[in-house]
Amino acid sequence: MNATAQCLTAFVFGSVVGLLVQRSRYCNVAALRDAMLFKTYRNTKALLVAMMILTLGFTAFITVGAGKPMHFDVGLNTFAGLFLFGIGMVLAGACTVSTWVKAGEGNIGAIWALMFTFIGMFLFSLLWSFIYWPPAPDTMTGVHNLAGLQLGFANAATLQEKTHVPAIVFGAVQTLVLFGIYRAILRRERAGARTSEAAAARESAACDAWAGNETAVPQGAARVAAEQSA
Amino acid sequence: MALFKKTLSPVSAMAMIAVLDIFLFQIVGSWTVGGGETMMTGLIARLFMGESLSRIPFWNVAFPPDPGYWKIYISLGMLFGAVVGAVLSKEFSWRMPHRLSEWVMITIGGLLMGIGIRLAFVCNVSTFYGLTPEMNLGGYLAISGILAGAWVGTWIYKKSLEG
Repeated sequence: MNATAQCLTAFVFGSVVGLLVQRSRYCNVAALRDAMLFKTYRNTKALLVAMMILTLGFTAFITVGAGKPMHFDVGLNTFAGLFLFGIGMVLAGACTVSTWVKAGEGNIGAIWALMFTFIGMFLFSLLWSFIYWPPAPDTMTGVHNLAGLQLGFANAATLQEKTHVPAIVFGAVQTLVLFGIYRAILRRERAGARTSEAAAARESAACDAWAGNETAVPQGAARVAAEQSA
Repeated sequence: MALFKKTLSPVSAMAMIAVLDIFLFQIVGSWTVGGGETMMTGLIARLFMGESLSRIPFWNVAFPPDPGYWKIYISLGMLFGAVVGAVLSKEFSWRMPHRLSEWVMITIGGLLMGIGIRLAFVCNVSTFYGLTPEMNLGGYLAISGILAGAWVGTWIYKKSLEG
């Protein structure tokens, strides 16, 4: 595929992503921050579902030697970089996706965040030009290099090559783990809903009892149930 | 059109994006944003600095600016798609943060995101929708980092809300 076709494909993909993210109000920051701060999981569940689908899809293609996986060495810089990124995205209230999407909705704060993301990248490019770390892509070796704090490269294809077990099997295991987390969230949400239902029923019953109604508890509970079904 | 009248479920939206990302993985590579943003940074810097930019080794060795880099167009596409969605659903409006503290947080947050992306060579999108589904070792390192960072960021955010 030539460069123009690649750019066009990327633009079409990006446009659909921008539209779907804008219409769903999905946000990667909220997927992590809201789960940690407010114990709400609307975005976290969407993140997990996407990761499950992608794990199965990518590892299926990797099994047959298809697809274009990312190929570069990882190391301490991967952890440290995403650690800084994680702090930054919560402070900015937007990640790499939501800055573009919110900018498209007319949010000046998102445009400001995007501008400073570019400035941050440029500042790091100046620092890199003195320290030459992490290694530039064309100097990566693919093997671990402890002096350079690099662990090398490994993905599902490496696992398949080393163990002779199809990559999709490892993908299925990872999908099950992600599904386990998803189910735990659903259980937590249901338990939370039951707790608030019971609390509302208790509160309602207490109000009815205070009003001198002898059948207060069933009425209170019935009212909560009616409100919820409505 | 119903799509522009009510909010779409994020699970459905992300499931559709995931399926499209699998096709993209087949054609050019998985969804990523940080690489395109880096290239845009280089192109903008070249606009201001001209050919003297190539005297900075990073832009000469690691990331020579190239307008034909496909990852740039994912970001531009996202902007375009969001404008279309916002305009057709009548949700487009110019908004800006009102408090100085918000501007400060956004500025620091933006800088940290930019530095973090270049230090790690990946962004959050590559972490969740590229590296980890490919079962790349970097995906697990990146997820550990972003979770720890988001926890610290959330703590700071909470303190700022309380303060």
